[in-house]
Amino acid sequence: MSQEEVKTVREAEITLPYKWTIGPSGLRFFQGLKEKKILGTKCHKCGRVLVPGRKFCPRDFVELFDWVEVKDEGTIRTYAFVNYSFVGQPRNPPYIVAVIDLDGADTGFNHYVMGIDFSDPEKVKDQVKIGMRVKAVWAEKRVGAITDIEYFKPIK
Amino acid sequence: MFKGGFMSEKVAIVGVAQKCGENLMDSVRGLAFEVTKTVMDKVGLTREELDTVVASSSDYWQGMGCSNVFHFDAAAGYLKDSTKAEEDSGLALAYGYMRVRSGHFDTCLVIGITKCSEAPPIATLTNIYNDPFYQRPIGLEEISAAALQANQYMSRYKVSEEVGAEVAVKNLRNALFNPHAHRKMRATVEDVMHSPVMAYPLRELMCCPASDGACALILASEKAAKKFTDDPIWIKGINWRAEPYFMGDRDILENRALKMASQKAYEMAGIKNPLKEIDVAEICEPYAFQELLWYEALGFCSRGEGAKLIKDGVTSMDGELPVNPSGGVLSTNPFCARGAIRAAEAALQLWGKAGERQVPDAETALVHSVHGLAGQLHMVAILGR
Amino acid sequence: MVRKVAVVGVGQTVHGKRREVSFPELVHEAVKRALDDANLTIEEIEAVVSGSMPAPMEGVNAPHLYWGDDAAGAVLKPNMRVATCGTTGMSVAQSGYYHVASGMFDVVLAVGAEKQYEGEAQGTMNTVGDAHFSRPFVPGAPGVFAQQSNEYLHRYDVPEEKIRLAAAEVSVRNHLDAFDNPYAHIKIKIKVDDVLNSRIICYPIRLLDVCPQSDGACAIIYASEERARKITDTPAWVKGVAYCGNEYWSSDNDSVENPGTIEVARRAYKMAGITNPLKQLDVAEVYNPFTFQEMMHYECFGFCKPGEAYKLVEEGIVSRSGELPCDPSGGVLSTNPIGATAMVRVVEAALQVTGKAGAHQIPDAETAFSNGLGGANHLISVMILSRTP
Repeated sequence: MSQEEVKTVREAEITLPYKWTIGPSGLRFFQGLKEKKILGTKCHKCGRVLVPGRKFCPRDFVELFDWVEVKDEGTIRTYAFVNYSFVGQPRNPPYIVAVIDLDGADTGFNHYVMGIDFSDPEKVKDQVKIGMRVKAVWAEKRVGAITDIEYFKPIK
Repeated sequence: MFKGGFMSEKVAIVGVAQKCGENLMDSVRGLAFEVTKTVMDKVGLTREELDTVVASSSDYWQGMGCSNVFHFDAAAGYLKDSTKAEEDSGLALAYGYMRVRSGHFDTCLVIGITKCSEAPPIATLTNIYNDPFYQRPIGLEEISAAALQANQYMSRYKVSEEVGAEVAVKNLRNALFNPHAHRKMRATVEDVMHSPVMAYPLRELMCCPASDGACALILASEKAAKKFTDDPIWIKGINWRAEPYFMGDRDILENRALKMASQKAYEMAGIKNPLKEIDVAEICEPYAFQELLWYEALGFCSRGEGAKLIKDGVTSMDGELPVNPSGGVLSTNPFCARGAIRAAEAALQLWGKAGERQVPDAETALVHSVHGLAGQLHMVAILGR
Repeated sequence: MVRKVAVVGVGQTVHGKRREVSFPELVHEAVKRALDDANLTIEEIEAVVSGSMPAPMEGVNAPHLYWGDDAAGAVLKPNMRVATCGTTGMSVAQSGYYHVASGMFDVVLAVGAEKQYEGEAQGTMNTVGDAHFSRPFVPGAPGVFAQQSNEYLHRYDVPEEKIRLAAAEVSVRNHLDAFDNPYAHIKIKIKVDDVLNSRIICYPIRLLDVCPQSDGACAIIYASEERARKITDTPAWVKGVAYCGNEYWSSDNDSVENPGTIEVARRAYKMAGITNPLKQLDVAEVYNPFTFQEMMHYECFGFCKPGEAYKLVEEGIVSRSGELPCDPSGGVLSTNPIGATAMVRVVEAALQVTGKAGAHQIPDAETAFSNGLGGANHLISVMILSRTP
């Protein structure tokens, strides 16, 4: 009887359930999205409008109470064209993630930029440029999540 | 701040803040900000003046890689030297102590934070403490490991199950007087013995709950301490040690790592007779029988005599050495935060600010934290005025 | 006074695909080499601190209780884990330094390790983003750095091609230098055109702009001044130590003229008495997981003015024969066991100033700079070592 060799590796997948708390300021921000509003908080010390609206300013370390609405359009600060896969990826490639400076906000906003022709990967950077203006495309059905904005699309 | 560049052999706790509960409304980030802001305002320390931060959290408990990145700036870390001692804020206390003692930092924020309500059960997350080959497939995790330990203890020293229940009764009742405690009840031995069996002899009320909580401490050098308080609580001794990894390599009744850590801490603090010289002890006892084992390794009594201490009421609120006036971990278990909470509770005792759970005339306190299966890594500190 | 601390021994594994050893065995390899280098026994190590990337990367929680315990000689000794994303290796190195600087210990071992082939690096790293706001948009490490590099390419009044070309030179240089490093993982002889034509991963990052995934471990032994002088004739003195973090919301920080990166260098230089880095540093082991990153670091660290990193490359200033050789070890571009990577920079710095860097020795290197980077540009660290106390 032949002895089978002992395997050199042991394989397993670990899936773990989590329930993350959004917190009061997050809830207020997401309620805003449901209403097609992008909300930020203004810091009374440094004067910055921080988006998403949040509990405190990390630089001045004070609690923030001044909620303001910023525009749902802005300028692309930078972007990445994702045309590769990885485990746990939130959506199938190709797609573009960008940092967008929304009008009225002093911080960058992370979201997708779509409405781009991906058929020729080499031509993507002709369509998306740093400094380009983009506007939010809202989901028809909004539930109070970051995906209530479907993506940002280029505008003239 | 001062940054005089002088080593400071004396390091003090000058302020504490904590917030715990079953299912706290705010996120890890919000909680971190809250306890940090609270303690800094209490002490009168601005963010600019704060020199360094040592945070303690767990990626697995938080469900986020590099968990400290998420609460970094919420714990005052923006543009600061903020680091992380994982899994146990008792180790964050030790590391913070070393940073201040080195003379490179005059003030240090130590913070521990975990929201168990967000995470998978403790058994799941501690099953993966194990290597994937030998111990994990056997299903060992914190509860079963503590059960092995309790079984061996009961067998070796002819101790009854009810003794474990007595520890739970003591701590859960003590918790009634602690506004920060999560699980608190006027339990009886019968209540505990009737709670569901988790892993014999451990019953539900003998096992730690899953709590949310954050705790922040401010440490200061001797020079800086004077600026913030007239009543600094000095860290007189501190040490921490790890048992070997494999369960089978360890003597889980002797708990040598705890014995050595406490001996070193006592040496530093000049303590020769712990039972007499320590006025109050805050120790981490996630599983009731472990409290008895820790008494023995801490030198409060000899091997096998832990049960006697509890039966004779030595460690009750009106005993010679009250242990866990706060209710301990059996009452409140925001995993990574529990070490810092022990230090906070001990400091409150020495300041005379422990409200209804105050031990009168407390001058010297012992702080202990532990994590790992059957108590693999222990930290011991001695606080005094 | 503060206590003087020196590196008295270093060790690293051969980095690469190390499927033939378990994680503890890998760690033990590095620790044994460090002990041999310092001519010390494990009994003489008084405390151990270890770290790696998020524990989920290899699927073992609290690894300091596992491979950071027995295999690192930490049984019945003080043992703690410091884990801070990509800066982990250096956070651990800095923790080792503070263990000794505190006066509590005289001889301390610091260990950084990663066994990347055992898990899912990208998937794990993506969980750094919180689930409510960030995670849907974290594009993996290449995407994060692509955004940053993209910004850099368009920030200054410099033709994109010049920066692109310089980055390609950086790749060629690092990969070639790796041949002279017996521990390096990827060793390839490439030309600039190979880089420019390599597959696009995420514009502007191409395959040859990018670090590999490696298994590997390294260890450093720190000692107090008194013990250091007894242990070795060639201690590497720790002259500058600094660490800094940016805001959690990564888009709130300028990713090109990065506040944390600029601040951390300023603090380390102040501690080490460095006022002119280009002149006073003899070698720099810069944390360079991407070619453009290395160049942005030159600028943030004050090796040149903002926007002018390409000049340092064009003029050969950062090559091995230049005024400030960068990453003569082959850098992160050749070797990247992430939990160890930032510590490997310190190890390489120590090898340089003690004259033990073998084939990639920079002649007469007296003062060496090393740094680590973590998160999506959240965390940065610097350590400066010198031959002179």
